[in-house]
Amino acid sequence: MHCKELESVLEAEGLGQLSKDARLHLATCGSCQGLLADFNSITEAAKSLPAEVNPPDRIWISLRAQLEAEGLIKEPVEVSEKASWWESFAAAWKLRAFAAVTAAALVVAAAVYVKRVPLNGGSDTAKKQTPVESSRTSQTQLAAVPPVTAVPANTAPTKESVPPKTKELAPSPSESASFTLNQAELDVPNMQLAGNSQVDTALRQNLRTLNAFIAECELRLKQNPQDELAREYLYTAYQQKSDLLAAMMESGRGDN
Amino acid sequence: MCASSVIPGTTLGATRRIRPISGAATGQLARQRPAQPVALTEAEAIRLAQAGNAAAFEFLYQLHGRRVYALCLRMVGNPADAEDLMQEAFLQLFRKIGTFRGESAFSTWLHRMTVNVVLMRLRKKSLPTDSLEETLEPDAENSAPKRDVGAPDLRLTGAVDRVNLERCIEKLPPGYRTVFVLHDVQGYEHNEIADIMGCSVGNSKSQLHKARTRLRELLQEELRQQAREERKAAKSPTGSLD
Repeated sequence: MHCKELESVLEAEGLGQLSKDARLHLATCGSCQGLLADFNSITEAAKSLPAEVNPPDRIWISLRAQLEAEGLIKEPVEVSEKASWWESFAAAWKLRAFAAVTAAALVVAAAVYVKRVPLNGGSDTAKKQTPVESSRTSQTQLAAVPPVTAVPANTAPTKESVPPKTKELAPSPSESASFTLNQAELDVPNMQLAGNSQVDTALRQNLRTLNAFIAECELRLKQNPQDELAREYLYTAYQQKSDLLAAMMESGRGDN
Repeated sequence: MCASSVIPGTTLGATRRIRPISGAATGQLARQRPAQPVALTEAEAIRLAQAGNAAAFEFLYQLHGRRVYALCLRMVGNPADAEDLMQEAFLQLFRKIGTFRGESAFSTWLHRMTVNVVLMRLRKKSLPTDSLEETLEPDAENSAPKRDVGAPDLRLTGAVDRVNLERCIEKLPPGYRTVFVLHDVQGYEHNEIADIMGCSVGNSKSQLHKARTRLRELLQEELRQQAREERKAAKSPTGSLD
């Protein structure tokens, strides 16, 4: 290989891994050694130059004024940097993207609901109850269920909130799905989920994150039973929890 | 929890955006991504900006402004011109943001606009001695920097400092300068540079090699000049030769 050929190689391949021929030439050519060393010095010095420089504030002030003058700014809405993650998630999520997942979650919830036969057919008044109210009224049916580690505190049964005449109602689909998932989650604390403790930790953290999200959705529904978006998020979250629990159980084994 | 620890195959990934996202810039920057704790993602901000939301405009400006300003500053060498160019680039961006379809990364689109604005300005101000033709077209043999094979080289190892390098970058022809700054300073890959500059990957590599070769010459000349001045200072009548 000649010096010009080495230059062509450097041009085409950069300064990274050089071919055997190139290295052989470099071993015997001081001039090319100098060239490569200088290129490396230049690139190292270039990396030390800041890739970002703070522009003066006046640029944005002037730019914004220009945008307003041209009518490109239509509404001076402030977006708080401290907006909750809920608002970010709500703003970002499109209903169409939810459709397929929500349908699957509703099928799961509906299947569980169908299996639980209503105790005495329910009354017209009860049928008009919102899902949150009916879930409250059906809490007594779940009172016998042992407390579950990951169940959020705000969904714990509260006997004093149960009107007596609605005790016989079957649980709502969301309540049934929640119950089913919580039952499945009972085994998780005792399981070694994966051979790698870091993965194990990550799986459990994922589950905690999802449970926190479910708790938030349930709280939203409790505060505003007409919040359809919260209900759809909740059903999707149930579906995701179902998938996660299935993945956790497939990847691990029980300790007991 | 890092998003990358989400279990593959699960749908939990869809909920990871419930956490505030830092470093929300997309694209394939090799290093030094802007890291800001933000409530919006870039995609959301683009959508809101397309609807005329002022805060979304500002978000995008804050997200990309520092890199754009750094690029303008290195291309023109003075803050006053760099400020004008940056404002012009963002103005064009926001005027056209309604046409952005996401076919390329937003940062690539913005940098493409910035480079065009800068090169247009340099073309208007071009002096006869500046070779603006050393941009994207393959160079003719007599316009490319040459290396005298066999001539003694002044080694740069340990002698290249930021001040010298910045001074020499300013002396590069605009095309070489653009590719060098995008690749070696800002960390873009050749495929990204090709997208920004509307050239081929091969052309980007060729321009970079030529930029480095030219910089080497300029830096060697700087070192020789410094050595001459030091010798002159040492021989001056007022200096002693103890």
